Amino acid sequence: MVQNSTISPGDTLLKVDHVSLRFGGVKAITDVSFDIRKGEIRAIIGPNGAGKTSMLNVINGFYHPQDGTITYKGATRAKMKPYVAASQGIARTFQNVALFKGMSTLDNIMVGRTLKMKSSFFWQIFRHGPAMTEEIAHRRMVEEIIDFLEIEHIRKVPVGKLPYGLQKRVELGRALAMEPELLLLDEPMAGMNLEEKEDMCRFILDVKEQYGTTIALIEHDMGVVMDLSDRVVVLEYGRKIADGTPDEVKANQAVIDAYLGVAH
Amino acid sequence: MLYNVLIDPFVQMGAAPDLFVQTIWEGLVAGVLYALIALGFVLIFKASGVFNFAQGMMVVFAALTLVGLHEKGVPAWIAVLLTLGVMAILAIAVERIVLRPLVNQPDIILFMATFGLTFIIIGLGEFIFGGEPKQMIATELGLPQGTMRFDILGGKVIIQKIDVAAAVIASLMIAALALFFQYTRIGRALRAVADSHKAALSVGISLNQIWAIVWFAAGIVALITGIMWGARSDVSFALQVIALKALPVLILGGFTSIPGAIVGGLIIGIGEKLAEFYWGPLVGGGIENWVAYVIALVFLMVRPQGLFGDKIIERI
Amino acid sequence: MEQDASAALDTFPKWLAHQAHARPSRPGMRHKDLGIWTEWSWAEVAQNVRAYALGLMAHGLQRGDRIAIIGNNRPKLYWSMMAAQSVGAIPVPVYADSVADEMAYVLEHAEVKFACVQDQEQVDKILSVSDRLPNIAFVFYDEPRGLRAYDHSRLQAIEEVIAQGKGLMLADPEANRRLDAEIARGTGEDISVILYTSGTTGRSKGVMLSAGRCIAAARDTVAFDGLSDRDNVLAYLPLAWVGDHYLNYAQALIAGFCINCPESPETAVEDRREVGNTYAFAPPRVFEGMLTRIMIRMEDASWLKRKLFHYYMGVAKLWGEKILDGKPVPVLARLNYAIGELLVYGPLKNVMGLTTVRVGYTAGEAIGPELFSFFRSIGLNLKQLYGQTEAFLFVTCQKDDGVRADCVGPATPNVEIRIAEDGEVLYKSPGQFVGYYKDPEKTAETMTPDGFVKTGDAGFFEKDGQLRIIDRAKDVGRLKSGALFAPKYIENKLKFFPNIREVVAFGQGEEFVTVFLNIDLVAVGNWAERNNVSYGSYQELAGHPQVYDILAGHVAEVNRQLAEEPMMARAQVHRFLILHKELDADDGELTRTQKVRRGFIADRYASLVKALYDGSTEADISTEVTFEDGRKGVISARVKVMDATVAPVAAMPQAAE
Repeated sequence: MVQNSTISPGDTLLKVDHVSLRFGGVKAITDVSFDIRKGEIRAIIGPNGAGKTSMLNVINGFYHPQDGTITYKGATRAKMKPYVAASQGIARTFQNVALFKGMSTLDNIMVGRTLKMKSSFFWQIFRHGPAMTEEIAHRRMVEEIIDFLEIEHIRKVPVGKLPYGLQKRVELGRALAMEPELLLLDEPMAGMNLEEKEDMCRFILDVKEQYGTTIALIEHDMGVVMDLSDRVVVLEYGRKIADGTPDEVKANQAVIDAYLGVAH
Repeated sequence: MLYNVLIDPFVQMGAAPDLFVQTIWEGLVAGVLYALIALGFVLIFKASGVFNFAQGMMVVFAALTLVGLHEKGVPAWIAVLLTLGVMAILAIAVERIVLRPLVNQPDIILFMATFGLTFIIIGLGEFIFGGEPKQMIATELGLPQGTMRFDILGGKVIIQKIDVAAAVIASLMIAALALFFQYTRIGRALRAVADSHKAALSVGISLNQIWAIVWFAAGIVALITGIMWGARSDVSFALQVIALKALPVLILGGFTSIPGAIVGGLIIGIGEKLAEFYWGPLVGGGIENWVAYVIALVFLMVRPQGLFGDKIIERI
Repeated sequence: MEQDASAALDTFPKWLAHQAHARPSRPGMRHKDLGIWTEWSWAEVAQNVRAYALGLMAHGLQRGDRIAIIGNNRPKLYWSMMAAQSVGAIPVPVYADSVADEMAYVLEHAEVKFACVQDQEQVDKILSVSDRLPNIAFVFYDEPRGLRAYDHSRLQAIEEVIAQGKGLMLADPEANRRLDAEIARGTGEDISVILYTSGTTGRSKGVMLSAGRCIAAARDTVAFDGLSDRDNVLAYLPLAWVGDHYLNYAQALIAGFCINCPESPETAVEDRREVGNTYAFAPPRVFEGMLTRIMIRMEDASWLKRKLFHYYMGVAKLWGEKILDGKPVPVLARLNYAIGELLVYGPLKNVMGLTTVRVGYTAGEAIGPELFSFFRSIGLNLKQLYGQTEAFLFVTCQKDDGVRADCVGPATPNVEIRIAEDGEVLYKSPGQFVGYYKDPEKTAETMTPDGFVKTGDAGFFEKDGQLRIIDRAKDVGRLKSGALFAPKYIENKLKFFPNIREVVAFGQGEEFVTVFLNIDLVAVGNWAERNNVSYGSYQELAGHPQVYDILAGHVAEVNRQLAEEPMMARAQVHRFLILHKELDADDGELTRTQKVRRGFIADRYASLVKALYDGSTEADISTEVTFEDGRKGVISARVKVMDATVAPVAAMPQAAE
């Protein structure tokens, strides 16, 4: 499903190089560098206000850093428009869930396929020939995602009516519909109970296994981070204070002082 | 007195059914044309959340451009195509010059911008085409002339062929637009943009492209509206007053609903004509001018989102 | 029906071949997958099953082997049963939501050689207890998701097995003949399926049912209800439950109608509507749930809708059942009812997916009379049946025109019923079981010397010939005073109230009767929303003083009813409490078919029972609970105990029997 064979698993997919981001006098990110390897699950953790969401926004193109560059699939750029990032295979979920509240689950995920829809506008009106075959293929793909995330029973429900946990799942579905190479998840488990968290973990792992998608996720639940991620980046007050495997990071004194409190 | 208001008009309806049918027909035609105007508003509001005050002006501008080109010797249908081209350019210009710089501003700012746009278009129109009323090139476009006469219901009902054409064309266009929004990729993208800009961006939809498309679509609607209205009266700046009638239609039907624009238009159109014909004499005429607004007022109190508008869905 | 030839059809595989021959292009099975309904005609079903059987034989399946079937209702799992039976092997269906331990017990006990399962979840469960299951040679699965990386030395996709079978059919001309020979070898005496009953006490027992008897019973009820190949059922009830094997599997093979499998258990309600099912079975709580949901939505509806609803429900109450029963009704009333059908009853039935239902059955526990009359009055032919796994379901069933809420009907055709001296209900039926697997003692215990089966329920016949069940025979007890104590009777009366989901009654040998109550979260939650009562958890809501008051009212009402029945008047409820957590099958408190396990509960909540009887107004309780994935946790609470209002009993003669 994922093309781009020029980068093999294990190679660097995305590199953040000495990025700094300021809003007026507030320094959101200061001189942060790290990389994300293809096929891994990279966790970004840190106390509130550490700059994690800002970091995702920079990668995604919503914010433009004053200093530093982002290198994605070998191409370096400082600024990027969000919809260009999307067309290059970066998909994103948001902390507060950015869904089309008035549309159904099915429609929301279908919109995720927009970039992949090629047939001309003209034929689409008449629902004929190539447009029809394409529509069916897309619908099938969306149905497979719905099946994968076990949300058949809310297929037609307007998303605004769903409980928070299900909304997050639908948002994940929409991101998956883009067939992304890099999936950015901003606190995907926030507000979920134990059962929902376990389901979400399972889905994230399945995504990595089945589709080979690289995942960067912001998460507060240390248990989840330890279980899911291959490597971890720790931010505090906009700076990077640790970078390594979950075990290395857990034992890191600076991290314990800033964030973990007591060694778990 | 109560009898006059509550009973007599219905008695009259029954007594002269041919007049009744005639009135209904007139109302229907007016209603369809109101719906067309409302449609232009709905398109832009649905996709970008902007209430385009300049819609009425766009109708006049489109009609003037068409007639103006024809006066200069361009054959009718070529003139139509060229006018469409002009509307496309207008759409892109509006998107680039007016909307893009104001993209994150509150809705009221954007509304004021369209306000200003109106006057720019008025000025432009007057400058290019002059201020006198013009004739719509109805016959050149192949629209039928003349009347049809039916001797039924004990009397006669007279129907203008142009009105029939207007009703049919408007219905076709409305149907096409409804299908477009529901079933095509762009239609879906339009709905998405109307719902959440942030989400649409992150999915890869280019907002600028969408807005240009929407304004162009509104431009097409404006042109067809201009042709239809112009064929029934004249093409002049007075036409844009008709746009004010669109407001009650929108309130009734919902600002974001295409079927709502049709239903609202028909209700206002028929309601107006019936009120004028049967109750008008009681108050010395002139009901037509204000009854639409009274209906709108009632709706605002009882069902503010209109018959088909989107209820705000939120989990508290 | 095709009478003469069908006498020779004494096993299900033979019936399958018959359907493929008699109605090859009629739909046999459907499944909603990825949003669309896929259909297989009877010919296609038979074709797939034959290939599957050949594939299984190639893997070493032999006559007499047991195959476990684990999962939700899926065509491939039904085909697994048919394929197994074709070879003379015995399917053993297991509840899809059983925990690994429960599953291991059944698989071990039945010594299964193969397992046909739905998905990765079930495969994982089997692998986790594989050390207890040395006999298992192969595990076959339906959905491949997540299983790609697993060791496939003893694991294979069902699709591949079927493909192998198809290959064999082409390559080897003898293969078809071999299969036909196996099918022909089957007789009515063969054990066709082993269904493990979820025991309310002790471990489950494997009920062995023979092909001939199953078929005889199914033929009777197909004729009784006039089922044909035009019917449709939604197969959503557990495969391991006798009801599914009887109502869906057996009846479908006999009558030739289509089995529709829903997309998932959660979408069953939606899918029912799409299927247009004509024959429906649901346990009473499903119907209760439907009613509760309607009532809640009505309260939210506009004033006009509410007025219409209440008015027409009144009309239905007056005339509905009479119209359904075919009794004479004034023309004007019929007209009004017809309008009601258009405006109210039709849309209601549509929402519940019951529009096309000709025959609806329910069973399991007593159903509240209001619930019954509600559904019948809007035109749903809802009837009761009574039975058990050992009978291959049907012991009694009501006729269309003889439906009563408090009885379960006369004996099903060809079933003999006798009431023993101690009140226990005994029966002899065409479908009755052959015995318990590997348990001849229990089998002997359950049969009388003259071949009748003991149901374990106490009951008696009403004047109109319908059977009335009071309670489990061994649960019917006596209070200290000698008064009759039938716990289920009292529990059912309380469960009629939508606010109450589950009840456990105590009183054997005690001074008076007391009960545990579970609130129904949907109904009470809705009440809370409406009355601005906030709560953070089930526990908080269950302990809320206002909720206690409401339930006290219900208990008082039931006491009033009991006071009017001479047999029950002295068994009124004196004290009650609301449990802090819902009783759950995963914790062993309920059986897999949602029946209360009184003994287990009494032990687990002993401190609460004590509080009920020693006059305390509150008690502490700490219970261990099991989460869905098998992990354990502890829930603690302080539960309030309340006195109930007891209704006065008129002076009665002493030996009130």
